[in-house]
Amino acid sequence: MDFIAGPRTLPEPAPAPMPVKMVIAGGFGVGKTTAVAAVSDVPPLTTEAAITEVAAGVDDISLTPDKTTTTVAMDFGSVMLDPTLKLYLFGTPGQDRFGFMWDDVTEGALGALVVVDSRRLEDCFPAVDYFERRTMPFAVAVNRFAGAVPHPLDAVREALDVESEVPVIEFDARDSESVRDSLIIVLELALARAMAAA
Amino acid sequence: MAPGAELPMETQVVATTEGLHQLGALAFERRAIVEACGTPQSLAELAVRLGLHLNVVRVLAGDLRAGRFLTVHEPRAAISTDVDVLRRVINGLRAIPTAAGRA
Repeated sequence: MDFIAGPRTLPEPAPAPMPVKMVIAGGFGVGKTTAVAAVSDVPPLTTEAAITEVAAGVDDISLTPDKTTTTVAMDFGSVMLDPTLKLYLFGTPGQDRFGFMWDDVTEGALGALVVVDSRRLEDCFPAVDYFERRTMPFAVAVNRFAGAVPHPLDAVREALDVESEVPVIEFDARDSESVRDSLIIVLELALARAMAAA
Repeated sequence: MAPGAELPMETQVVATTEGLHQLGALAFERRAIVEACGTPQSLAELAVRLGLHLNVVRVLAGDLRAGRFLTVHEPRAAISTDVDVLRRVINGLRAIPTAAGRA
């Protein structure tokens, strides 16, 4: 009897896929988690992320001047694109209006989709501002809510004052194809920038 | 800073074969992490599965890597501007089944 390998009672763990991530941002209740759920292989999970800075003048930090981090719930999902590539979709926490310093979530992301309810356009300003400052590729996606009066995309673009390069599109957060296509639009912008820089 | 505290939340963690064989050397959260990592997963998924705060999982995963119970696969640096990766993700998304595709 010649044993070359030792006895194996446990299978070798599978190799890890390469993780990539995208961010789905926007104001409270605009459909971020719905959009994650539309394309995720698994129902969205909720974990806690640390917000490391509070936007001064928006949130009342005068009562807790020493507090620089706070913990918020964050939803995320994932799509196994092939056996070696896994895309994570992280929804930014719902309290977008109160602070937007989520480097923990956005660090290394390929790009972001900023979901907008055109009746509450101002809710997405912090997200737009954040990704512009980070020079992260992003698109503005106006969610088609049932019964909502559609605003022309030109008017949304004008109100947000985003650069001409930034796609402003309409989408349906409940529809997997619509969400998928919106993510591809963000990635095509990221690709164009990466190729221009190469 | 503790090892692992800076790991991105999508970082993949996988148990080593040795780690799975030496579960008895571990207790509580450390043991639960190695057990769960028989299947590769992200720190974020692990935190949800085990009901632990993400930052706790980060630190413990760093410890367990140092002890060779786990291998930790951080996302590649500058991956967000990697043309080949971006193309792969675009092609991968185009191929996923959507509601319209299934209908």
